[in-house]
Amino acid sequence: MLQIYLPIAEMSVNILVIFGMGAAVGFLSGMFGVGGGFLMTPLLLFSGVPPAVAVATEANQIVASSVSGALVQWRRGNVDVKMGTVLLIGGAVGAVLGVQIVKILREIGQVGLIISLSYVTFLGIIGVLMLIESLRAIQRTREGRPAPARKPGQHSWIHGLPLKMRFKRSKLYISAIPPLLLGAFVGLLAAIMGVGGGFIMVPAMIYLLKIPTNVVIGTSLFQIIFVTAIVTVLHSTTNQTVDVVLALVLMLGGVIGAQFGARAGVHLRGEQLRALLALLVLGVCIRLLFDLVLEPNELFSIQYEGLH
Amino acid sequence: MRRQTFALVFAASCALATAPANAAPPGEAINSDISSRDIAIESNFSGARIVIFGNIDRPRDNFFDLGQYNVAVVIRGPEQPVVTRRKDRVFGMWINQDARAFAKVPSFYAVLSSQEVELIARPAVLSAYGIGFDNLSLIPEAVKGEAAPEESARFREALIRLKEAEGLYVSDPKAVTFVGRSLFRATVDLPANVPVGEYATDVYLIRGGEVLSHNRSTLRIHKAGFERLIYTSAYQYPLWYGIAAVIVAVAAGLAASAIFRKS
Repeated sequence: MLQIYLPIAEMSVNILVIFGMGAAVGFLSGMFGVGGGFLMTPLLLFSGVPPAVAVATEANQIVASSVSGALVQWRRGNVDVKMGTVLLIGGAVGAVLGVQIVKILREIGQVGLIISLSYVTFLGIIGVLMLIESLRAIQRTREGRPAPARKPGQHSWIHGLPLKMRFKRSKLYISAIPPLLLGAFVGLLAAIMGVGGGFIMVPAMIYLLKIPTNVVIGTSLFQIIFVTAIVTVLHSTTNQTVDVVLALVLMLGGVIGAQFGARAGVHLRGEQLRALLALLVLGVCIRLLFDLVLEPNELFSIQYEGLH
Repeated sequence: MRRQTFALVFAASCALATAPANAAPPGEAINSDISSRDIAIESNFSGARIVIFGNIDRPRDNFFDLGQYNVAVVIRGPEQPVVTRRKDRVFGMWINQDARAFAKVPSFYAVLSSQEVELIARPAVLSAYGIGFDNLSLIPEAVKGEAAPEESARFREALIRLKEAEGLYVSDPKAVTFVGRSLFRATVDLPANVPVGEYATDVYLIRGGEVLSHNRSTLRIHKAGFERLIYTSAYQYPLWYGIAAVIVAVAAGLAASAIFRKS
């Protein structure tokens, strides 16, 4: 019952299962304040959606979730449009490169491998860092010690670069090169992994670019809208892998789940939330790693060409 | 009276003149059709079952009673290029390594019969008509890795096994059943991922190892409605499709924040 045929993934799925996946990931992203792409894409892979379709379709879904997220931040005046624009110019370049890489990987039959490896690497690093950080924070609260005060911004090699620009809202006068490079790297990840890249962008903006925390989330979301939109169009023209039917069901589940998640998140303590998220991230990472290293039941696979 | 006799003789001689030289009585022939000649894939499509049915014209009682009539049905979908890859262990991970490219692989292939096809027809007959998985002409055209023929045979086997697992290759030696003396029917399930295109359904009447009669009907599988709109625009107008996908997403995001802002 309620089977729906996905025209691009070319499979029949239960609409409630897909909606539920969207809602569950939306709930988590609302609760933790993360994008959710890094959880949704692996879930789609586990459900048998072809890797290239999973990545491109997830980019399309992230456009929707980042629009509603960015709007909230925009109303609060937390978007640095100039910084966001510099980031997204880099992001566009990274996206073009990433979509071409996916195309080549599909031709040589390694797209699944590279997507899985990227996820194992990034989820592994981020999961471990988050877990360590949140466990320390939990210990600190138990012992009643205050969080260590952040050191004031220091001058580093970043300040010696040319092409300096003034970013009023971020209260910065820095070279445009680091944000361009950061944007390009995140754009590349968006195209290959089907993520917004907030989990790289946000820490990099805080610790590397020293952007004030209040404008980081809004600016990151602002540029994610455009980068994932570019990724969606490029995947559509280059690889024909965007499944709008799948994306639409995920979007519906996602926005509803995110609202409940945001409300649930208010009642939970920050460091415990982060520890939970870290465990979840590590769980997904380990599952993907197992799929890579355990001998599969079927060593052969087939890939169709043409006939469209 | 005389005139009538003349007319009868004339008619009889005409009939004799049109009969074959060695005057054998007309043999058995097969007629068949498919329950639906046109299948539309719409958004609620989760597969379809089709029935191939037909009858044997002029069956002979003695052959029928001995169970000597057999029917084989072969359904073929449009051909497409397929690459088969094999994973090998590299740095502790299972990674696609060797590959074979097959240029013309039937996207769908079903062989339905009243008995194992090997038991009802000579190998040369099966091979000439392409009946059975063993008689599919699947020759690798491009090779990555060891080119030994036994290696290629493994890729061929794997291709058939994977197609079977997807429900796109079917072999059922009990699918054709006789209803009464000359009617027969066979059912086959088309999975949700059945490829679109023109399908050919060949029905063979077999006796004594030989094909006595052969009948072909065609089946068209196509996408329809919303499904067709999405599919054709994605492949024919990918730029507009991509832009539309983004517009839908932006609209969904705006709608969501408008709805939940009020509540």
